[in-house]
Amino acid sequence: MEKRKNKKIIIKVSNLSKSFNSNIVLKNINFQLLEGESLAIIGASGSGKSVLLKNIIGILQPDKGSIEINDTEIVNLPRNLKEKILLDLGITFQHGALFDSLKNWENIIFKIANKEKMNNKNGKKLAFSIIKQLGLQPEILDLYPSEISGGMQKRVAIARAICGNPKILLFDEPTSGLDPVTGSLIDQLIKTAVRTVGGSAITITHDMASVCRIADKVILIDNQTISWSGTPKEMFNSANKKIQKFIKPINSEFLFK
Amino acid sequence: MVYLFLDILGTTGKKFINFVANIGHFFIFFGSAFYWTFKPPWYFKKIFQQILDIGYFSLPVVGLTTFFSGMVLALQTYNGFTDFNSESTVARIVLTSITRELGPVLTGLMVAGRVGAKMAAEIATMRVTEQIDALGTLGTRPMQYLIAPKIIASLVCIPLLVLIGNTIGILGGYVIAIYKLNFNPSLYLNATMEYLQLIDIIQGTVKAAVFGLIISMVSCYFGYNASKGAEGVGFATTSSVVISSVMILTSTYIITALFFG
Repeated sequence: MEKRKNKKIIIKVSNLSKSFNSNIVLKNINFQLLEGESLAIIGASGSGKSVLLKNIIGILQPDKGSIEINDTEIVNLPRNLKEKILLDLGITFQHGALFDSLKNWENIIFKIANKEKMNNKNGKKLAFSIIKQLGLQPEILDLYPSEISGGMQKRVAIARAICGNPKILLFDEPTSGLDPVTGSLIDQLIKTAVRTVGGSAITITHDMASVCRIADKVILIDNQTISWSGTPKEMFNSANKKIQKFIKPINSEFLFK
Repeated sequence: MVYLFLDILGTTGKKFINFVANIGHFFIFFGSAFYWTFKPPWYFKKIFQQILDIGYFSLPVVGLTTFFSGMVLALQTYNGFTDFNSESTVARIVLTSITRELGPVLTGLMVAGRVGAKMAAEIATMRVTEQIDALGTLGTRPMQYLIAPKIIASLVCIPLLVLIGNTIGILGGYVIAIYKLNFNPSLYLNATMEYLQLIDIIQGTVKAAVFGLIISMVSCYFGYNASKGAEGVGFATTSSVVISSVMILTSTYIITALFFG
């Protein structure tokens, strides 16, 4: 088993390229996510961060390159085997992607309920045990996603992702649209999931405060490739002009406190 | 001039290739959806919800349409056939027209408008809001969870709706014949029973099943492949109703020709 500093490689992306017709979005992307590591992906809007995530979870097929999850190559893997691997992942989409026709508690336990029979009482109990960590009230469980605010929807989507304690978490802008207090709560939750449960996470974000709170490693996607990578502290000390553009308005001393 | 000609040729060729590609894409979707429809697990709660939506909630619109069609048919047939002293054929013409053609086609068109549009809009919205992508990452196959229940419910409900619609349509003809045209009720009923053919019922049911397949497949296809946000949802909805209606009218001729040609 390939390891770096005695840590298992959870996700390994090698030479990944993706284009839509003649529009090249990603070119030769290489990175690794180690066990227990939290990786933040930053980059300008439209730089291909979400496309990269969709390639990892098999929604998009890369033009070339390989993606290994727990040492299994998933590009071109038969669908039934890919689905088994995806079951170990907790994913939130950029806009939540909650199922409109299901109540919030049904959304949260959707994956678990598919695997094992669960009555409504136990289902709601499980859903409640998760949402209380996210600062949500039990009243929202019996409502539909359209009946709660955007910020609450985001938290329900996160609750769905972490339900069942998956070891690999992938978040696409989990704190966008949330107030700073709730954003900080979500960050704390990601940190807890990674550090306590021993999971690994990839978070796409524009929120530099969030990067400082949750990330062990940061990569910047710019001009179709990874143009910079390092730790959050290295990021704030970096002279790289592209990185400077991202961190310019932020007081790093305050953040790291 | 030559450039203009080449430009037109290029555009036409591109459109033709796109058209052929879309047809190929549809048949791949059709094959895949059909395969997953008959493969367990089946989501019985979803199937029941669809049966309720397609079958039960379509009853009023199908009932009204076929009832008034039966009434119009009786009236028009009577007016037309009085000139030839053939009023006695009203019962037969109402029966044959309703069971063979009007019942299935009107039901198909009504369901395509009511249910097909809803199916396409629902799935298209799920597509553009990434809900279908999310389903795939939560250990559920969208084809089995979303599409298969709609196909199963359509295949079950539309033939039943047609049988009910046929009965209501014949009843509409009976009401006009008896209460407006002063036919003898027992003679009219006897004539209806005498000309009731099993082959007409079978043909009508086959048509209904084919229409059910067309409506569910076409609507799900356009919904499943929707893109471009709200505009894409609108396009999927409109396309599903238009294409389903055209295919219903085309296939009714083919099935009629196969049975009676």
